[in-house]
Amino acid sequence: MIHLQHLVKDYGRTRAVDDLSLEVTAGEVCVLIGPSGCGKTTTLRMINRLIEPSSGHILIDDQDISQIKPERLRLSIGYAIQSVGLFPHMTVATNIAVVPKLLNWEKEATSQRVEELLRLVGLDPGEFGHKYPGQLSGGQAQRVGVARALAADPPILLMDEPFGAVDPLTRERLQYQFARIQQELKKTVILVTHDLNEAIRLADRIAIMSAGKLVQYDTPETILSRPANKFVHDFVGTDRALKRLSRIGVEGFVKPANPVAITDSISKIAAVIGRQPSAWVVNGDGRLLGWIDRKSLAQASSASQVLVAQTADEVAISRGATLHEALSLMLGQGVKSVPVVDEQERLIGEVSLSDVEAATVETEA
Amino acid sequence: MRQLLGRDNVALTGSVIGLASVLFGWLTLRPNRLAEGTPLSLWDGLGWGNAAVIVLLWLLCLVLSLSLKGKLKPILLGVTANMVLVVSLLMAGMAATGLLEVEPDSSRVSLGVGIWLTIAAAYIVIYASRQKLKELPLWQHLVSWTGLAILIALIFNGLLDSLSLMQELNGREARFLQELQQHVFLFGISVTIGSLIGIPLGIWANRSRRAERPVFFIANITQTIPSLALFGLIIAPLSALTMALPFLREIGIRGIGTAPALIALVVYSLLPIVRNTFVGLRQVDPAVIDAGAGMGMSRFQVFRRVKLPLAAPLVAEGVRIASVQAVGLTTVAALIGAGGLGFFVFQGLAQAAPDLIILGTLPIIALALIVDAVMRVIVRLVTPKGTGGQ
Repeated sequence: MIHLQHLVKDYGRTRAVDDLSLEVTAGEVCVLIGPSGCGKTTTLRMINRLIEPSSGHILIDDQDISQIKPERLRLSIGYAIQSVGLFPHMTVATNIAVVPKLLNWEKEATSQRVEELLRLVGLDPGEFGHKYPGQLSGGQAQRVGVARALAADPPILLMDEPFGAVDPLTRERLQYQFARIQQELKKTVILVTHDLNEAIRLADRIAIMSAGKLVQYDTPETILSRPANKFVHDFVGTDRALKRLSRIGVEGFVKPANPVAITDSISKIAAVIGRQPSAWVVNGDGRLLGWIDRKSLAQASSASQVLVAQTADEVAISRGATLHEALSLMLGQGVKSVPVVDEQERLIGEVSLSDVEAATVETEA
Repeated sequence: MRQLLGRDNVALTGSVIGLASVLFGWLTLRPNRLAEGTPLSLWDGLGWGNAAVIVLLWLLCLVLSLSLKGKLKPILLGVTANMVLVVSLLMAGMAATGLLEVEPDSSRVSLGVGIWLTIAAAYIVIYASRQKLKELPLWQHLVSWTGLAILIALIFNGLLDSLSLMQELNGREARFLQELQQHVFLFGISVTIGSLIGIPLGIWANRSRRAERPVFFIANITQTIPSLALFGLIIAPLSALTMALPFLREIGIRGIGTAPALIALVVYSLLPIVRNTFVGLRQVDPAVIDAGAGMGMSRFQVFRRVKLPLAAPLVAEGVRIASVQAVGLTTVAALIGAGGLGFFVFQGLAQAAPDLIILGTLPIIALALIVDAVMRVIVRLVTPKGTGGQ
């Protein structure tokens, strides 16, 4: 548990952080967010004593960190920053091994840990271990940055816009990967960002800051449905209902899809489709192959003749996805329902536009 | 057709200078080593046959630099330029021997403007060919060094002994070696001391805002004092100091000689070293330093494991600049009795004996080139893998 108590930081006459108190529960992701200059990064950097507060205290597990030697404190706190800050003269493996080396780990244990972490962030140790940071793409570098922060398995992780310096698509991928890793590792994470979608996607709690002050500290759901004041209301924007959708998984809304098998006869397919305009087609294992239009059935002799082949990648969403993704896929494809598949791309059902609408209305209330 | 033609502008420039050089006097015949001489043209000095060989070689270079493409071109150009180099000096040496047989004993034969131009032009062509041979290191080395190696062999075999330059050397071999040694000693020691002072100063200036300005103020000021004046300026205070502290005299420190020369040279080497150390440390990405500190490295660990290795190439580059500069500046040290190759330069100036000046100058140029090459290797060695460089 991290306890920030009445933190103040003055730079000359400007007050960067103003009487900030905050409690971060162990194992949760706390996202500090706010417009630039609101003091969020300053707050983060006070937690590992890169910046000393002008007044106030920070307790980690009830111990005042001002009593701990800064280097020792930092060795037990993972640190990942936007510009990544990988050491350009060290290989990826050496970069990740920095903290274990500072802690005098055995060589064997260190190299094992490096491999484990590279796999965890989805990089092949054999391929990437010996590369230099200059040879990595932005996304790969940020993943190495996260792996490096996790190297000595610290209970706390401080992240300053860790997915900031990459393109939106890569950023989203990194966020999902991080969410998956966090689910597994249950670190206490304090993450600074200015991207509200990132906060909503990752946070257990969001701390909204403005001009050095904490404005609202709550779960994403509450912040979206009950903004504390006009500042938060404006900050989360008029599309907060839409944003809420990215907190809701599709799994609760999946309905049976009534698919047909590619091996079925035309008459059987016609019977299944009935009055519906179309039906999803699966193979013997239940994997999604595409769809069939009712009107095309008339001249067909077999299902494969009229199959509109499409991969799950293109038309389906995974069952771990959110309603937000389901909605954007529907809007993008111009359809009223999308198929939901499991990890093996087997069709498990579909989500329809009306379900998404219902969820929106529910949360507005 | 266009595909087969590839103009090499650098080699072309060299060839044109080479061809032009044949219009100047190639040898100078003097009644004695100090007198004004009469210039002899290429054909008068070397004979028509030899002259034709040199003109033809230069024409070949010209044609080569305008035509041909591919790897063969720089190789042929380099080989031809080396041939020009060796052939013209060998012919000049032999022509000098011939001339001395018929002229009075005190006569001297010096190299003229033309042959110096040809040597310069040959090296321009060799440089152009080197640049094109980066993928063929063996040929690159051959093209760069063969001509020089053959020339040195010619000198050791006495084939150039009739040239006035060699006659100046032959009377002074022992002294030459002694001054060469002194020259190397002076610049070597001064750059070493300069590094030992300059690198910590650069680190200090980088670390402390308050140190930055005075350090650079002093380093910049010293750099603006003309070298001769600085050498002179040190004499008086140093003399006074040795008068006050006699034990300094006992260990060989005087107002003139090696001690003041070393002090001046150290002072000059400081600016490039301090500046490059400072810039080298400052250009390290702040994010990298922040990451290091944030992960729990102590200040010293951040310095030792992150800043220093990343700054090392620029620091070494500063030492390289200081070294090359010191080789040249050491020449002036001869004026305050510190010796070095400047001794011959200033003696030659005093006696109006041009070949003696050249005897001092040539090894200084050679030293500067060697030091430069060695330091470039060192810069490459301290450049960490994964960063810039190649």
